[in-house]
Amino acid sequence: MGIDSMEIDSMIENIKYNPYSWARSWKQKKGKGVIGYFCSYVPEEIIHACDLLPVRIVGRNAVATLSGAHLQNYCCSLARTSLDMALEGKFDFLDGTVFVHTCDTMQRLSDIWRLNAGSEEHFDIVLPARLDGENAFDYLREELSSFRASIERSFGKTTDEDLRRSIDIYNRNRELLAELYDMRIKRPELLSSEKLYLIVTMSSLVEKSIHNSLLETQISDMKRSASPVGLNTVDEKVRIFGIGSLMEEWGFLQMLEEAGATFVDDDFCNGRRYFEQGITEGDDPIMAIAKRIFERPICPCKYKVSRSRVQEIMKRVQDAGAQGVIFFQFKFCDPHAFDYVPLKEALERASIPSILIEIEQGSVSLEQLRTRIEAFIETIRG
Amino acid sequence: MRVAGVDIGSLTTKAIILEDGEIVGKSLVMTGHNSRLAGRRALDLALKDAGIGENTLDNIVATGYGRLSIDFFAEQVTEITCHARGAHSILRDARTVIDLGGQDSKAIALDENGRVLDFVMNDKCAAGTGRFLEVMAQALEIGLENLGEVSLQSVDPAPISSVCTVFAESEVISRIAEGVDKVDIAAGIHQAIASRIYAMASRISLRERFVMTGGVAKNIGVVKALEKRFRTSFFIPDEPQLVGALGAAMIAAERASVKN
Repeated sequence: MGIDSMEIDSMIENIKYNPYSWARSWKQKKGKGVIGYFCSYVPEEIIHACDLLPVRIVGRNAVATLSGAHLQNYCCSLARTSLDMALEGKFDFLDGTVFVHTCDTMQRLSDIWRLNAGSEEHFDIVLPARLDGENAFDYLREELSSFRASIERSFGKTTDEDLRRSIDIYNRNRELLAELYDMRIKRPELLSSEKLYLIVTMSSLVEKSIHNSLLETQISDMKRSASPVGLNTVDEKVRIFGIGSLMEEWGFLQMLEEAGATFVDDDFCNGRRYFEQGITEGDDPIMAIAKRIFERPICPCKYKVSRSRVQEIMKRVQDAGAQGVIFFQFKFCDPHAFDYVPLKEALERASIPSILIEIEQGSVSLEQLRTRIEAFIETIRG
Repeated sequence: MRVAGVDIGSLTTKAIILEDGEIVGKSLVMTGHNSRLAGRRALDLALKDAGIGENTLDNIVATGYGRLSIDFFAEQVTEITCHARGAHSILRDARTVIDLGGQDSKAIALDENGRVLDFVMNDKCAAGTGRFLEVMAQALEIGLENLGEVSLQSVDPAPISSVCTVFAESEVISRIAEGVDKVDIAAGIHQAIASRIYAMASRISLRERFVMTGGVAKNIGVVKALEKRFRTSFFIPDEPQLVGALGAAMIAAERASVKN
């Protein structure tokens, strides 16, 4: 089943303004269940194998109101605007919600959600805080098995074969996204930053196999339009590496490109952290999923003795040929704020300029940001 | 070579005309609601001051938050880069610029050539800006231009805990109700601003010497409070409000000479 370029554009447009409308109408058409989740550590394959659609909850671009009765103002706007939507009944199409214990806010949000806004089924996955060591691995495998057992209790049994099929579809998606990123690192002018993050975000909002065919079309379109290097004189944009959780400020991305810069690679939750590292299949699919969680780029909520997030990111910044780094964080996001300090120091040692942008969904003053971004780019250009 | 720099700020708009590096014309007008008109007016006045016509200019650089809304042909450069360049031209040893304007506060680290190394800027908060001082002066019924002088008479500054313009105003009003001397409240306000700016500026590496730019630099109370908080002396240019426009004009000259 192919998807043509025009369809891609209309899907992108739709996701930009109504992130959840695709899932809602899919449910109506197919009569299948939809499961909401927040975190990229959620084993989507287990949900998918139950013939359910996993859909990422990404908040919305509006000032939080109703959630004020349950969450303090110093919780991130992702938690607050999402809870607002749940309290307004905007997630009534969800048959269940999965929470992963990452940061404190998410852990608290899980209980608040279950008691006040919950969908029919509610699942918690308590990941170990440290993602290394034998005990943590055994625990993680157990936790994933018990998540599988509880979701099957609600939505029906699956076989290991079902799970392997889902893993294949998800692995294919990861391969394609990695290919898209590789092309963009070499030729960023082939795809705008805004479209890039809309495409990656869409991956977590629509059925994976459909997204796979969308990516196949997108990649072959880009290959076709890519004239050999040197033939076209393109205005070289300043190459930026992005660090943060969700990148879904579309206006900011447009403004960044207008200011003469583009993201060439990232450590965003709806960027490379979402798809990097496929699942290596073995006999036990749960074991295979657990291995990926252990080996993929680490999120600032998690910890590893054996691997330094700072070193890994510094290497990727250099590999991508980035001239500067933009930290794009939600206000009050503690895990990212903690990691900012050593990352910024490492960048300073390597003489790579960086800037910290903190935002809250629904109250971004773009023109004020424009001055900071333009000044940052002027600093890089010298 | 003749060039112009126009700095369209939130409160005032400034223009500088340079002829072979010398200031030959300058102007300062209120921005008002129409930044396009303000830019035009400031440029025209500065040209008049210099006694030259616009068509004799080799280049113009516009800066400030209204830089994109001008009706004359000019390159746009952010006020962060312009303030750094302007401050460097006034004081070669400048390595840190504290710019407090009508609605923005910034701290800029620069190198020996006046290039920006790093900077921080306030987000949405107006604390420490000209607007904040206007509100406070009004609450205390002291003229804005006297607020700084008055505060220096205090021997016992009243602590003001909040620097949010809205909360600080009600705090000031309750201090007045408690019968605290205006002089002490004014001093407390300036201390609160200094703490706030120091906290923001500490995000970048602060190096000697410090230059203060922007309209707030004309308030001696803020300058003294900042110097105490930063434990150093600040260099205050004769016309701190014009530093951004000066930097813009210098960049205009550099770019024009590259082109020729």
